[in-house]
Amino acid sequence: MATPTLGSILLGTAQPDRLRDWYAAALAPDDPAGGFTEVTPTMFAGTFGDTSLLIDGRSDVAGENPEPGRVVLNFHVDDAHATADHLKGLGVTWLVELEEREGGLFGTLVDPDGNYVQIIQLGQGSAPT
Amino acid sequence: MVADPPVPESPATVRRRARLRAITLESRAPDRAAAWYREALGLSDDAPLLTVGGVELRFTLATCDAPSAVEPARIVLNFHVDDIRAAEGRLIALEAVWARELERTRWGIIGTVLDVDGNYVQIVEPAPDSPPCLQRNEEHR
Repeated sequence: MATPTLGSILLGTAQPDRLRDWYAAALAPDDPAGGFTEVTPTMFAGTFGDTSLLIDGRSDVAGENPEPGRVVLNFHVDDAHATADHLKGLGVTWLVELEEREGGLFGTLVDPDGNYVQIIQLGQGSAPT
Repeated sequence: MVADPPVPESPATVRRRARLRAITLESRAPDRAAAWYREALGLSDDAPLLTVGGVELRFTLATCDAPSAVEPARIVLNFHVDDIRAAEGRLIALEAVWARELERTRWGIIGTVLDVDGNYVQIVEPAPDSPPCLQRNEEHR
């Protein structure tokens, strides 16, 4: 029996179109067209490395995440400064702007539903102690 | 009708391409939560990192007040398995609380449980004809 894989992370949202557009613009899914696949009219899938993000329109979540720190999505990028510049150009909301920390560059932004999203470039900050 | 040729990706797009490499879960008892996931997913105790198909699960001490997720449908982890009955057996042995018992859907066989912090966790045995993005990724087992 094979080890399980994290096939996808589902984001429940009251506004799936808005969230899909934000992730497509902000973080460049693997799809060569840079977008999401429509699974159903209210569900969209985008691949980000070894797993997918499923954006699912649901009626059992509010407009804004009441507990944004409970689950944080950590995205690794090759060039955090370029990514941060791009995100600033989009006018995203930052919880913590890109900063050098032990082990790399880290920044935390807030998606339109209030979920926390961290971008990371390892190996660019101070060496781990 | 002839399809449009693919549009080449710009270097800037490729350079900022993001990979979802880790999920951080807040918990009032991070060690207990990590142990629960190891048991639930049948992972070894030996590996220092809890990695599932190329994605690391990290656990930190909770700063929120609610002991259990207020909106468990907000973020759901979907673990793909090749033997859904074995996965179900592990969850039954853990006495997991089922939000939805195993059910055959158009995407495959799916069951939903609550983890120790009240987050929804789904086990999925994908259907052979489900979309590629919902299939099991075998490259990073």
